Amino acid sequence: MIGHILKLIWNKKGNNSLLIIEIFLSFLVLFAVLSYVIYNTDRLNLPTGFDTENRWLIYLDRNDKDMDSLANAQMRINLKNELLAMSNIESVGFSFSVSPYSNGTWSSSYDDLGFEIGSRFCKVDIDFEKTMNINVVKGRWFDETDINPTYEPMIVNEFFLNKYFPDVNMLDSIIPFGGDKKIIGVVDDYRYNGVFEEEQSTTFFFQPYTNKDAQIVYLKLSPGTPKSFEEDVSKTVESITKSTSFVIQDLQAMESRNSRQTWIPMIALLSISGFLCINVALGLFGVLWYNINNRRSEIGLRRALGASRPGIAAQFTGEVLVLTLLAIVIGVFFAIQVPLLKLIDIPQIIFYKSMAFSALIILVIVTICALYPSGQASRIQPAFALHED
Amino acid sequence: MISLDQVSKVYRTKTIETTALNNINLEVPKGEFLSIMGPSGCGKSTLLNIIGLLDEPSHGQVTIAGQQVQKYASKTTSRFRNEKLGFIFQSFHLIPDLRVIDNVELPLLYRNVSSKERRRLSEEALESVGLKNRMSHFPNQLSGGQKQRVAIARAIVGKPQIILADEPTGNLDSVMGNDVMDILLDLNKKGETTIVMVTHDENMARKTNRLVRLYDGSQIK
Repeated sequence: MIGHILKLIWNKKGNNSLLIIEIFLSFLVLFAVLSYVIYNTDRLNLPTGFDTENRWLIYLDRNDKDMDSLANAQMRINLKNELLAMSNIESVGFSFSVSPYSNGTWSSSYDDLGFEIGSRFCKVDIDFEKTMNINVVKGRWFDETDINPTYEPMIVNEFFLNKYFPDVNMLDSIIPFGGDKKIIGVVDDYRYNGVFEEEQSTTFFFQPYTNKDAQIVYLKLSPGTPKSFEEDVSKTVESITKSTSFVIQDLQAMESRNSRQTWIPMIALLSISGFLCINVALGLFGVLWYNINNRRSEIGLRRALGASRPGIAAQFTGEVLVLTLLAIVIGVFFAIQVPLLKLIDIPQIIFYKSMAFSALIILVIVTICALYPSGQASRIQPAFALHED
Repeated sequence: MISLDQVSKVYRTKTIETTALNNINLEVPKGEFLSIMGPSGCGKSTLLNIIGLLDEPSHGQVTIAGQQVQKYASKTTSRFRNEKLGFIFQSFHLIPDLRVIDNVELPLLYRNVSSKERRRLSEEALESVGLKNRMSHFPNQLSGGQKQRVAIARAIVGKPQIILADEPTGNLDSVMGNDVMDILLDLNKKGETTIVMVTHDENMARKTNRLVRLYDGSQIK
């Protein structure tokens, strides 16, 4: 029967080519949109490497040039002590000017080992780990021993190790990375530019919070801390820094704003694809309905010659599915060039996944659209259909 | 071979009831060539549809090849039609998107016959109607007589015991009509195929073994 259906399709290639082109183009659009969606959503379940709930950030005033370094350090000591003394603050950490969701990145690369090692980096203090709940999976976080070390300590994420030193235990190793650095710990990750961010090699360097570059203060608050507490924090910061040019941000709100930048285009693209699928479905439904009405005498004839009702339904559904499979095969031929030629530098498995999902979605839509008209075709009475001409 | 016992057919709508056949009793023995005649709307095609299991009688019994076919389930009816009956229609009913050979092998598609065997049997059937040289043509490349010969080839390819022909010469001129009639007579004589033919043409009907006349759904004695 498949051979018979192929013959019918081939002999009506003129009529069928438009349907094939419509399904083929739909497949390509779905493939592109799903690749984008899968590329982003694949990372939703990955750990970002830090907590955002009950975390506030204070961006300190950078115009503190009037203060000498000693006064600056003392100001930061006072600020930390005063903040820790407040009832709702459990922990206080500091970092340099790059914070989560700021879309800022500092990075550097060196090739002293004969191959290029690139990493973005963050400078943080000792309490940054417990304030942000950083997950150290090997070795240790920075401590007092790192204030005057023989080798500058660095903590890297697992991605860094897997990329540059796979299958090697690098803990406590010295590597040339802008001078000799010692890897003292490994964290699972620190994807600080959003939940949709790709894993990247990331390094932490130690920077005491008394350093004037420690511009961002991280607060870990007790659960249930009211928003009004921000006013108390604000007064404390103002009284110690003698400045009103600072900003307090809720890290969770920053995360939401950051995610929206990806969610909005993703939802827009999915909506457009949804409308496209509905249009394709309606078009297919119309074409099938028209075909079946045009082929009533053929249906009557087939029933007279021995086709059963399910056989008629199966034939019409089969014809559409074969057409769809042809369109999908052509679509896959073009789509597969993207991963084969590595045209886009993202994990290539995403393209294979989206090809599979696109094919599945189209097959489901086509099957649903074909079932009702095919069922109607099978209910045509042969005695009437044969005498309609 | 075919037995109709007090067969009636009534079409009902909400407002009207039309009797298409009224108490038809008919016996067609094996190997007979029977023609049915009557004016338009007298129930000839309805009778043929009931014998061909394309329609069900409202009353009465239909027995074909010793089997009471009304009691069959839909699937069994389809199989019975496929194996025992061959159909020829006035308007040929060839599928325009299939070549002649593919049109002829249609009944075999609904049986477990290999494609090679289908091909062989179809070529054989086309040869018997003198159209083997046209098997790669499409129906729109054939004349009316050739189309009806293809339809005959399609009707006989599955070697049915009964052929039901609904005005097979109705759309043909006299020469082509006689050609088609000769093929049917030959089939009846050589192959002992039972043929029931509906016709308007008295001359064609005279060539058959027996003529049954219908008028307003009833058989004229």
